[in-house]
Amino acid sequence: MIIPQTPLMVVLLVILAPLFGALLCGIDRRITARAQGRIGPPILQAVYDTIKLLRKEPMLLNRVQIVYAYLHLAFMILAMLLLVFGQDSLMFLFVFAFSTLSLVLGGMCVRSPYSRIGSQREIMLMVAYEPILILLMIGFYLVNGHSFMLSAPMTAAKPMLLSLPLLFIGFLVVLAIKMQKSPFDIATSHHAHQEIVKGLTIEYSGPYLAILEIAHFYEMALLFFFIVLFWSSPVWVGIILASLSFFLMTVVDNAFARLTSMWIFKFMWTGALILAVTNVLWLYWASK
Amino acid sequence: MQIQEALIALLVLGPLVFGLLMLTGVKGVLRNALVAVAGVTTIGAGVALPFYSGAIAPDVGLPTLITTLGNWIEPMVILTVLVIGFSIRSWPVRIMALIQLGLCVAGLLMSRHEPVEETKLVVDSLAMIMVLIVSVIGSLIALYAIGYMNGHEHHAPATAASNNRFFFVLISFLGLMNGLVLVDNMKWLSIFWEGTTLCSFFLIGHDGTPEAKASARRAITINVFGGLAMSVGVFLAAHNAESESLSVVMSKGPVVLLPIALLAIATMTKSAQMPFQSWLLGAMVAPTPVSALLHSSTMVKAGSYLILRMSPGLEGTPLAAVVAIAGAFTFALTSALAIGQSNGKKVLAYSTIANLGLISCCAAIGTPLAYAAGITILIFHAISKALLFLCVGTIEQSIGSRDIEDMGGLLFKMPLTTNIAIVGMISMMMPPFGMLIGKWMAIESAVHFPIVLILLVLGSALTIFFWAKWLGRITTTSYHEKYTIESISPWMRTVLAVIGIGVVVASICALPIYEQVIRPISLLTFSEQASNANISILDSVSAFLGWPMIIVIGAIIMALATGTLLFKPSRLRLPYLCGENVDSDETTYTFRSIADAPSTAMLTSYYLPLFGESRITTWANPLAALIILSLLGVLFI
Repeated sequence: MIIPQTPLMVVLLVILAPLFGALLCGIDRRITARAQGRIGPPILQAVYDTIKLLRKEPMLLNRVQIVYAYLHLAFMILAMLLLVFGQDSLMFLFVFAFSTLSLVLGGMCVRSPYSRIGSQREIMLMVAYEPILILLMIGFYLVNGHSFMLSAPMTAAKPMLLSLPLLFIGFLVVLAIKMQKSPFDIATSHHAHQEIVKGLTIEYSGPYLAILEIAHFYEMALLFFFIVLFWSSPVWVGIILASLSFFLMTVVDNAFARLTSMWIFKFMWTGALILAVTNVLWLYWASK
Repeated sequence: MQIQEALIALLVLGPLVFGLLMLTGVKGVLRNALVAVAGVTTIGAGVALPFYSGAIAPDVGLPTLITTLGNWIEPMVILTVLVIGFSIRSWPVRIMALIQLGLCVAGLLMSRHEPVEETKLVVDSLAMIMVLIVSVIGSLIALYAIGYMNGHEHHAPATAASNNRFFFVLISFLGLMNGLVLVDNMKWLSIFWEGTTLCSFFLIGHDGTPEAKASARRAITINVFGGLAMSVGVFLAAHNAESESLSVVMSKGPVVLLPIALLAIATMTKSAQMPFQSWLLGAMVAPTPVSALLHSSTMVKAGSYLILRMSPGLEGTPLAAVVAIAGAFTFALTSALAIGQSNGKKVLAYSTIANLGLISCCAAIGTPLAYAAGITILIFHAISKALLFLCVGTIEQSIGSRDIEDMGGLLFKMPLTTNIAIVGMISMMMPPFGMLIGKWMAIESAVHFPIVLILLVLGSALTIFFWAKWLGRITTTSYHEKYTIESISPWMRTVLAVIGIGVVVASICALPIYEQVIRPISLLTFSEQASNANISILDSVSAFLGWPMIIVIGAIIMALATGTLLFKPSRLRLPYLCGENVDSDETTYTFRSIADAPSTAMLTSYYLPLFGESRITTWANPLAALIILSLLGVLFI
C-alpha cells in the first residue's frame, strides 16, 4: 500500500479526511446511543454541527486564541500528510505533538481557570503517551530493516502486528487518550459532563470551535490510518483491525468511569511503558 | 595567513587587553564605550575568521616561545587557585591545587631533556563555529551587561564588587574561551580551562552575599576537581603518548584510555553533568549576564566542545558506552527535575544541563549522524538559551521575581521582551527550529543503544512538560485595546532584538547550515564510516524541513487576517467561571459566588512533587556517580 505523492492526492486527502473523521465520530455516537437504548443522531450529525458552528458569530477572550486554533489545524493536516506519504516517523511525531501543543497553548492563553486546568491535564497526557509513540516508531525501525521512513511498514510483507503485539496494546491506550474516551477524557470530553466543564476548549466558540472540531476529524482519520499500518498487506485486514479498535474504544468509553490525571501518568509510565520497552528489547534481542 | 593569525591574536588577546583596561578604573560613559568597543571588535574578528581561513585550515604552528611561556603560566594559574583555596578556607581546593602544582612541576622536570614540541592551533570548522558562538553571542551578552549592570548597581547589595572588576572578568573570559577553543596543546588547554574556572568563581561571587559566596565556593570546588582530572589526564597522556597535542593523543588508541577517561570526567564537571550539576544551579545567584554568558551559552559549552573533539578518540573504546549512558541519564533526569521547578532560571539551568548531556551522549555514540546531532544542538542551544536567559533577567529586573507563576499577563506589560522570550521558547521545541532537528537526529542515532535510547525517549517527553507549562503561563493575557511600550535600557533592548532575530534567521537557515557546515564536519571527522548506511539518514534530514515553516507562516497570516478583519472588541467576552463575572480591570478571575459575594478563582500550574529536587537527587546523584566511576572501572575489564 503506497500512496502517490501528487498534488491531486494532497487535495483529495485534505478534503476527504475530515469527512471520514466526521463519519467515524457519527458512527461512534450512533453505537453509543444504541448501547444506551437510544436511537441516536444521524451518521452525519458531526458535519451538520460543524457547519452550524462555522456560521455563528465569533466570540473570544483575546486574539491569540485564533492563532493557536489555526496552528492546531495546520499542524494536524501536516502530520496527516507526513503519515500518509510515509515520511520520517519521528518528524511525524514531532509535528503531531506540536499540533496538540498548539491546542494546549490556546487553552492556556486565556485567563480562564477551567480552560487552564484542562490544558495542564492535556500536557500531562502528552507526557504520558509520548514515550509509547516514540518507542512504537523505534519498533517499526527495528522490524523494517532499519528505516525510519513510515513507508517501510506500509510495504512490509509481514504484518507489523505480529512483531509488535505489546506495542499495539500500548498504542490502543494512546488511542483512547487521543480520542478523548473515558477513562482518559480528563482534559476535555465530548459530553461536557465532567467537573471542569468542557476543559481545554471551553473558551472557544462558534467558528473557532469549528476549527478545533475539524482538526479533531483529521486526527481521527490519522489515527485510523495509523492502525492500518499494523496490518498493511492485505490492506482490508488493516481496515478491519482499525474498525475493531475504534469499536473497542466506544465500548471502553461506555464501560469505565473517569480517572485522575496522575493515575494515568503513572499507569502509562509503568504498565504501558513496560509493555512497550519489553517489545522493543525483544526486537533488539531477536535482531542480534 | 597573516590576517588569520592577526585575527586569532585579536580574538584571544584582544579581550584580555580590553579587560585589563577596565581595571584602570574608567567610569561612566567611557567604560560603556570601552565595553562596546571590546564587544564589537570581538564580534568582527569572530565573523571575519572563517573568511580568512582556507577551506581546510588544520594546524597553525606557533613559535616555541609560546610553549615555554605556557610552562610558566600554568604554575601561576594553579597558584592563583591555591590562593583562593586559602582565602575561602577550603581544604579540598587547597589539596587539589597542591596536587596540580606537584604534577605541573614534575611534568616540567621530566620534559626538560626532550625537544620542545611545537604548540599548534586548530582552526577547523568546528573550532570556528565555537569561536563564532563565543565571540558573537558572548560579546552581545557583554553589551547587554552594560545596560543591565547600570540597573543592577542601584539595587545590588552593599557587598557587591565593583562593576569594573565585573567587566574585567566578563570580557577577559571571552579571550580565554577563544583560546581554549583554538589551542591544540593540552598544557595550554588546561591553562585556559582553569582560567574559565577562575572567571566563573569571581563572577558568581560578584554580589558578595552569603549565598553568592557559598555558590562561588561550590563552583570552584567542583571545577577544580575537573581541572585536577584534566591535569592528571594531560600528565599521563604526555607520559604514555609522548605528546601534548590533543589531536595526536586522540589518535593513539588504547595506550591513552585512562587519560581519555580523565578528560571525559573533566568535561562532565565543566558541563555540569550529574552528579556535578549543583554548581551550575548555584550560579543562578549571579547577575543575569553571568548566567547567560558562562552558564548557558559559552563556558559550559567548553565541556561539550572538548567531548566533541574527543569523539574520534572515544569511538570504539569501552568508554564510549559509559559516557553515552552518563549523558543520556543526565538528559532524562534533569528534564524531570525541571518539571518540579517554578523558578524560571532554575528551569533554564536544568534544561541547559539536559542539553549538554545530550551533546556528550551524541559525541560518545560516535557515528556521523550522532556527531552532526551534537554539533547542531551545540549551535542552536547556545543562541536560544542565551536569549532566554537574557529575557528572564530583563523580566526579573522589571517585575522583581523570577517565579514562572508571576509571569502571567507579561505580554501586555512587557510586550517586546515577552514576545522575544516566546520566540526563544518555541525555538527550543518546535519544528523546524534547529534544536528539534538536533534532538531528532540524536534519537535516530541512539537507536542501536537500547539503554541510551530509552533514556532519551523519556527525557524528550518530559521536556515538553516544562516548556509547555511556561509558554502557557507567559502567553496568558486578557484583551487590551492598546499596546504598551516597555521602558528598558537601549543596550538591553537592542541586544534582545538582535539575538531574537538571530534565532529566527538561524532556524530559517537551519537546513543550509546543516548542509554546508555541520554535515561536512561530521563526514570529515568520521571519514572511515562515510560509506556506511548512516549517511543515508544524514541525507534524509533535509526531506521535510521546508514544510512546517510554510504552514506556520501561512497559518499566522491567515489568523492575523481573519482576526483583525472579523474580530471586533464588541465580540469580546469574559471567561466562564460558573457564576456571574465581576468586571474589573485588575483580574478576570473574580465572579459572584454564594450570596453574591465576589470570589476569586486561583490557579497555578502543575509542579509535581514526584519530580521534586530532593526526591530525585537523593537516588539519582549516587547513581550518576556510579556511572562515572564505572568509566574508570571499564578500563580494567
